[in-house]
Amino acid sequence: MNPEPFLQLDRVIHEKVRLAIMSMLAASPDLSFTELRETLHLTDGNLTSHLRTLQESGYLAVTKAYQDSRPLTTCSLTPSGRKAFADHLGRLEEIVRQARLIP
Amino acid sequence: MDPREALDELGTIRLLMERSALYRRALSPICLAIGVLGTVAAAIPQLAVINGAKGFAGWWLGTAALALALAFTIARRQAMGAAEAFWSPPTRRVTEAVLPPLAAGALLAVPFLLGEDWALRVTWLLPALWMILYGCALHAAGFFMRRGIRLFGWTYILGGSGLLLWWTCPLNQFPPVAHSHLAMGLGFGGGHLAYGLYLHFTEKDA
Repeated sequence: MNPEPFLQLDRVIHEKVRLAIMSMLAASPDLSFTELRETLHLTDGNLTSHLRTLQESGYLAVTKAYQDSRPLTTCSLTPSGRKAFADHLGRLEEIVRQARLIP
Repeated sequence: MDPREALDELGTIRLLMERSALYRRALSPICLAIGVLGTVAAAIPQLAVINGAKGFAGWWLGTAALALALAFTIARRQAMGAAEAFWSPPTRRVTEAVLPPLAAGALLAVPFLLGEDWALRVTWLLPALWMILYGCALHAAGFFMRRGIRLFGWTYILGGSGLLLWWTCPLNQFPPVAHSHLAMGLGFGGGHLAYGLYLHFTEKDA
């Protein structure tokens, strides 16, 4: 079995919560902080910490605005975030494909 | 990484991607509000006679516009309460899905509103056709919602088709406008009330 796809897995995305955040954002142009928190059952602190990691890697853009005098934080994937996510999916598929080739 | 682990991870990714694309607002308050509105709108013409093709079409088009405004207001309040954007991608998808059949339903009413001669004789067609089109709208929206909306849509499609068959049956006489109001009240008022109550007791937070 070729270990290359496994070795190339992006450590930033591979973490469980960050992968979940990336997956949700990959299917939607943007999502609010609350939507992410509620769907993934995370605390504010936990989500903020993972968002920061993704933001620092250049995968995530965070927009802070106001809607009806209430703060509204929305997150979206940057183009490099979308590419990194697609690459990650490709590698996972490659791992599965290789395993199917082994008798 | 174990290949099985990779496969599980791909499954989780797919599930989360599907979930994030779904419309998640609570539907029971919307259904109940539309149900009450539909029932009241069907009861009023029994007291203050609203007859004729023009009156019937105008009355129910106005009610539909009010129902749409009510649904949007409730959904917007829910979004505000949850500190979420109202015009989210799932909301856009649902709106785009329901728009063509609803627009067709509104356009269908135009000849009736204009009081065309032929329209006067077939006012009874409107409730059945509106039910079928509304069912199509719900069915289309159901692809972006998690509840049994598609099944609810099918009940309108089948109900409307049944009504059409019943009223076109040679043994039956074409019904008066009062019966059409009754069909609208039962179909749209009663239907939404029943589904709203069902959701009220079964709907969980997303």
